[in-house]
Amino acid sequence: MASEHLNHRASRQRRRRLSRVLLYTVLIGGAFIAIVPFLYMIANALKTYGETVSRVSAIPFDPRFWPKVPQWSNFAVVIREENMGLFFVNSVVISVVTVAGVVLTSAPSAYAFAKLRFPGRDTIFAVLLATLMIPETVLLIPNFLIVSRFGWIDTLAGLTVPFFASAFYIFLLRQFFSQIPNAIVESARIDGNTHFGILVGIVMPLSRAPLFTLAFLAFNGAWNALQWPLVVTQTPTWRPITVGLTKYITEAGPQTQLRMAGALIALVPTVLVYLVAQKQITEAIANTGMKG
Amino acid sequence: MLMLEIPTGRGGSVASESQVRRRRWTRINTDIEGYLFIAPAVLLIGTFGFFPVFFTVFVSMHKWRIRRGHLLGLENFQELFGGLHLLAIIVAAGVGIFVGWRLLRNRLGALHSAPAAARTIGALMLLGSLAALAWGLPQVWETGDDDMMQALRVTVWYSLGTVPVQLALGLLLAVLLDQRFGGRQLFRVVYLLPYIVPAVAAAAVFERLFSLRPESFANQVLLLFRLEPLQWLTEVQGVFSMLFGWGNGNGGVVAEYWQTWAQGPSLALVSIMFFNYWVFTGYYALIYSNGLAQIPRQLYEAAEVDGASKLRVFFQIVIPLLSPTTFFLTILGVIGTFKAFNHIYVLRSAAARGAADPMSVYIFFTFFRRSRFGYAAALSLVLFAIVLVLTLVQRRIMEKRVFYGE
Repeated sequence: MASEHLNHRASRQRRRRLSRVLLYTVLIGGAFIAIVPFLYMIANALKTYGETVSRVSAIPFDPRFWPKVPQWSNFAVVIREENMGLFFVNSVVISVVTVAGVVLTSAPSAYAFAKLRFPGRDTIFAVLLATLMIPETVLLIPNFLIVSRFGWIDTLAGLTVPFFASAFYIFLLRQFFSQIPNAIVESARIDGNTHFGILVGIVMPLSRAPLFTLAFLAFNGAWNALQWPLVVTQTPTWRPITVGLTKYITEAGPQTQLRMAGALIALVPTVLVYLVAQKQITEAIANTGMKG
Repeated sequence: MLMLEIPTGRGGSVASESQVRRRRWTRINTDIEGYLFIAPAVLLIGTFGFFPVFFTVFVSMHKWRIRRGHLLGLENFQELFGGLHLLAIIVAAGVGIFVGWRLLRNRLGALHSAPAAARTIGALMLLGSLAALAWGLPQVWETGDDDMMQALRVTVWYSLGTVPVQLALGLLLAVLLDQRFGGRQLFRVVYLLPYIVPAVAAAAVFERLFSLRPESFANQVLLLFRLEPLQWLTEVQGVFSMLFGWGNGNGGVVAEYWQTWAQGPSLALVSIMFFNYWVFTGYYALIYSNGLAQIPRQLYEAAEVDGASKLRVFFQIVIPLLSPTTFFLTILGVIGTFKAFNHIYVLRSAAARGAADPMSVYIFFTFFRRSRFGYAAALSLVLFAIVLVLTLVQRRIMEKRVFYGE
């Protein structure tokens, strides 16, 4: 009886080890699939044009997958001759300005919807939420006409102002602000503070996590935007890197190595921020369901 | 609105006139404060997120090529559908399907007393509406905008091909990551990386990976298996047609239209779907992981005590408890495919002749390349209507199936 029991336990351990090996194999295989396109991007960004055509392989372990000599000059070419440097800077400015605008309009609104009382408050909020159902394509043409009329084509304003306010960010902040106990607000009022003072001095400092989420989502949303900037920038002056890269791909020749160099430049900030702040970003995505 | 009496400390309880006036003034003051706080956001959202919808309707009723032309009324829509009567038939068929279905399931209160009659009428309505659609859609394709019909077909294939696969892969990955083992966090970071990266940059890579050149990554992989290179992102032919030869016959308008469906999604579109799987599996897994984490351990233990196998636990406990997450991801996924633009714009090519252009891209080109603002506006309204209907339908269906636990 005892020996049977021991055999049973041994076979169960064997089974567990087998399933563990299987688990690791599958997970590593999947991770490999996730990584390979990045390896391809890096490898090809450093190849010469000739190499991208003739020295190829599907296997990252094959030396032909990689360049013989890394051509770092590709980055210089893409930054100087194809304006990717300018586009990168534009993207940074556009994204930062958008984040500022988003915080400046969403915080007071969220505060008002959460803590203030005024006639029509809930109806207005419901209508704002309803705007989230409208696909971007439906808004594209009229907004283009409106922005044209304002003279904002090819300007920073045209690229940022329409995105300063979104019901989604207001919803997000309001959710959080509602959880701040009313007693805090009331006692601050009794002490003679204005609502604005309360917002800036008490509520915002308490809201570091949702504000980070907001900043991340707004930054990413602005950085990744393609459809709108494509339509609103007609010269390279304010063109963001998404549009720059896309135009390079669709209009210039098939210089794979330059395309990959441009793509690498475009994804650097996001990846850096992600590696540094993974936990917060993962939480932000999980809680809101989106990345921007 | 008069204020209620507020007892004063002296034992009296009547508010004096001046007190009432002061309170009303304070009330107006706080109201104004509230409006001031929301004003910038409301102004911006109103200008760029709400008013434009009405403006789109306005534009759609004109001939508008960069500058406003003359009023067309519903002519753009007539051109779209090949006649407003066809639009009417299709909408009526849609309503018929809805009403017929409810009658069939005996959920329409009106005929509760005569269930057999209700069911027969329901069945007839359903069949009739489906037949009307089977006939009507080809007519729109023939006399209306066949590019729009292609774009809609591409969008539907795109939805069908991506959402179920992503749900399955994401769930599988989440379950795997739920096991206890070392390095879990590292795997999570790696799997989410494709989602984090800007779509345009990632799409730029995939455009090269799936290019038709023999040295492209995808073709090199085929080479490893001794297979012939394929045209991938520029391949117009549908995959079902390529694999099984479906949809290659001839016939009248109705037959030919449905044959275009039988051919399946084009290989170009399928290549784009591969991109989707790569990007979204990690994301779906993250959302599912959150859902899994909310299932209390006691349920698993109780099931184990009852002697249930792992598979049964999975299908009879985990999946039902994950249904809110599945619901959320499905809606997100389907609506997402109708709104998808960035990666498709980069991955598509003119050589694919629209076989990989969903509605969003078709509308964009109509607006931006061909400058047909009015027509594009009309198209975008059609898209809007479809998205609205889809959201409502999905909410209906899923709400019945979603199990919210106790």
